[in-house]
Amino acid sequence: MGIISQMLQATIAVGIVVAVILVIIIGVKDRTKKISCLRIFIQTISLGIIFLGLIIGPFGLTQYSFIGNAPRDVLVGTTIFGAPFPDGLSVPTMACYYPSGRTMTCALWQIQSYIFPFWNAGKGWGVNYTSSGLERLVIVFGLLIAMSVILGRLFCGWICPLGFYMDLITRARKSLKIRHCNLSEEINDGLRQLRYLIIAAILLLIFVFGAEAIVGTKLVSGTEYKGFVYQYFTAPFCQVCPMRPLCVLIEGALGYMNLQYVFSQTTGQFYEIGYYVTSLNVLVLVLVTIGAIALRRFWCRICPLGGLIAVFNRFVPFKWASIVRLDKDEEKCTKCGICKRVCPPQVNEVYEEKGGDVTASGCILCFRCVEMCPYEDCLKINVAGKTVFESKNWLDTAK
Amino acid sequence: MTSKDETGMKYFPEIPQKEIEEIRNSIKAASIKVAAENIERMKKTTPNRPELMKYFDNISDFFGQREHEIRAAKEEGKKVIGYNCMFAPIELILAADAIPVRINSGWYDASKLGDRIVPPEVCPVIRSTIGAKMVGLSPYLELSDAVINSLTCDGMTKLSEILSDHKPIWTLCPPRVKDSPQSMVFWREELKAIEKKIEDLSGNKITEKKLRSAIELRHRATKAFRRLQDIRKGFPVIMGRDAMLVNQTSAWDDINRWTLKTEELCDELEKRVRQKMWVCPPDTPRVMVTGTPMVWPDNWKIPNLIEESNPQGVLVIDELCSSDRFLYDPVGVDEWTMDDMFNAMAERYLLTSTCPCFTSKDGNEDRINWLLDKLKEFKVDGVIYYVVRGCMLYAMEYTRIKRILDRRNVPVYYLDTEYTREDVGQMKTRVEAFLEMLKAKVEI
Repeated sequence: MGIISQMLQATIAVGIVVAVILVIIIGVKDRTKKISCLRIFIQTISLGIIFLGLIIGPFGLTQYSFIGNAPRDVLVGTTIFGAPFPDGLSVPTMACYYPSGRTMTCALWQIQSYIFPFWNAGKGWGVNYTSSGLERLVIVFGLLIAMSVILGRLFCGWICPLGFYMDLITRARKSLKIRHCNLSEEINDGLRQLRYLIIAAILLLIFVFGAEAIVGTKLVSGTEYKGFVYQYFTAPFCQVCPMRPLCVLIEGALGYMNLQYVFSQTTGQFYEIGYYVTSLNVLVLVLVTIGAIALRRFWCRICPLGGLIAVFNRFVPFKWASIVRLDKDEEKCTKCGICKRVCPPQVNEVYEEKGGDVTASGCILCFRCVEMCPYEDCLKINVAGKTVFESKNWLDTAK
Repeated sequence: MTSKDETGMKYFPEIPQKEIEEIRNSIKAASIKVAAENIERMKKTTPNRPELMKYFDNISDFFGQREHEIRAAKEEGKKVIGYNCMFAPIELILAADAIPVRINSGWYDASKLGDRIVPPEVCPVIRSTIGAKMVGLSPYLELSDAVINSLTCDGMTKLSEILSDHKPIWTLCPPRVKDSPQSMVFWREELKAIEKKIEDLSGNKITEKKLRSAIELRHRATKAFRRLQDIRKGFPVIMGRDAMLVNQTSAWDDINRWTLKTEELCDELEKRVRQKMWVCPPDTPRVMVTGTPMVWPDNWKIPNLIEESNPQGVLVIDELCSSDRFLYDPVGVDEWTMDDMFNAMAERYLLTSTCPCFTSKDGNEDRINWLLDKLKEFKVDGVIYYVVRGCMLYAMEYTRIKRILDRRNVPVYYLDTEYTREDVGQMKTRVEAFLEMLKAKVEI
């Protein structure tokens, strides 16, 4: 009975969201924005899939039943290619391990956790890992590379819930007719480089913290089992990740997480404001929200996860294998500047590069430029060499 | 006051009123005759000319219906703002509820008058505009309350100074480099200044709503224009001159009505496509014209020659700022805020232009890409590079364009001429030789 009622609840939640989206789509008078409408639709559906844990499955996993009832662990199961994989598929989107159920987990969390503290087999928090962290890391990176090559940063533009959150803020701002700011090219480029620095910093930090497990010598005190760092900094990036408080809120709203419990459980440490959320998380979220009001897709410009996908998608040797590419016809381009101006993360490669493959590492593949380019066939989205979307004379559909 | 003589004029000579009227009337009579003759010749070439062309013939008359309409609107208190270049932000004029009219002049005889003020080496378009002003010939220039003059070339720069003897001239200075960040800043400021002036003159504030509807109005016009161009991509159902006339009238016609009529014309043409009712044999060589603007009515020499010569050619596309480039690019607005609309407009006017007045990092490559793309899309057999004597910028770019077109095996022919009827015979021989060559190529 409990399962049925929860499934009903989930269906109703999805229904409400879909209804809201339909209203938005109908409300958008300009029929030229088909790709944007499709995108917001897919983002909504992905949001449902991610946070309802694919809806299918036994609810109320015993180990964390005190947090709340969440759908977990079912679709993918606990093994991948025979290797025990209790944390689910690592999907490169900003969506968390705990509340979202273990069918999908942020790849960044897995990378951090499998180096430290789950380097050794069997040493999980209530989860029994039978394979070593190294083995699991190989799977995570394998999946990450595979997904990056196949879909690339489509995850950022079409699936990532944090991106969706920023898009919703942008939509709200648009409807209030507030203008957005633009970052200068230099700062934007700098932020894009910063992503790689953040990735490097995370990896370095993790190796330092996990030195005991990996090489057998402790470098920092508190990294031992149940030590201070071990308990609170197991995944350092997650402590500042802006998506974590949002995940808790969404799951709480859906009834899958007991918010009262979450916020009553604090050890009184300086940064901890709840069982799962740190004050740093909330601070960064506030900053990102403010940033997203001022700029479009603010976080995407510094997102380390986006940087990771970009590494496995935009640079040699992955570049040649990657499937989704943005292509530009040099002769059709009049350099009108529309693609540059409408780009949410302010990528200017599409505008500046002469022609051919213009997929840039900062591009989130939202296809806004393709949608807004007024010249037929000038910009194209190629999937494995086949054109799926191309720019067209959108005046045909304008009223 | 030292720079002005006792008449208060910096440039214009004192001509007795009687003489002015005499000259005006004679040029006006000649112009009406030439326009009628051109239309007659267009009809003769195409016995089954589209019905709707009647409307455009009518509206093309400088001294007819449209003049009266503008005069009437002016009496109601509307302001008329002239412009003589594609750079003028027409959306802003429309948003301020003023009437935009293009005022550059194609009168051959008026260019002779212009010689009294500027040397004959100057581009005849400039001389003709000055000459038209000397005798008050152009009704649109006379009716305009102010003129937006873009400083694209040397002639245009001085033209604003010369015309300022008679009219308030608002200069609009496009930066000579398109792709540097500072030029965009400068250009935006230029447009902002023009916006302010338009608001002050018309007394209407340009609000977000008004600007949006003006942009959407022009979108509809662009849509109609592009539909016509798409039809021209196939076998010819409309002669190039007719299409040129349609596109050129958009510069002074009421934009709403023009859009409506062009859509109707397209309906008619699409019907013809279905009936396979071509205006000339489908294997007629397809010609593209690029270069100096050709202004109705007098400067219809080259289009006439191309489409009347034996063997016949058909103009399928031109790269002239007076016709096929005028409406091609839409203003692409991302968010309908004042700020973004303004940016979109600024970018549309500056960045999409293929005027040879620009030189960028890679030279004026935008123009080459434009030409190459259209060559392919419109299946052009040959290009006529038309330059009037004195148009340095177009003349100087020829070498580069020729080299690129040669590489693509597209014949290109340089035709330099003047605002005169005297060289028609010679031009005819040259055009016919070129078309003969194209014809032979098409047959192979």
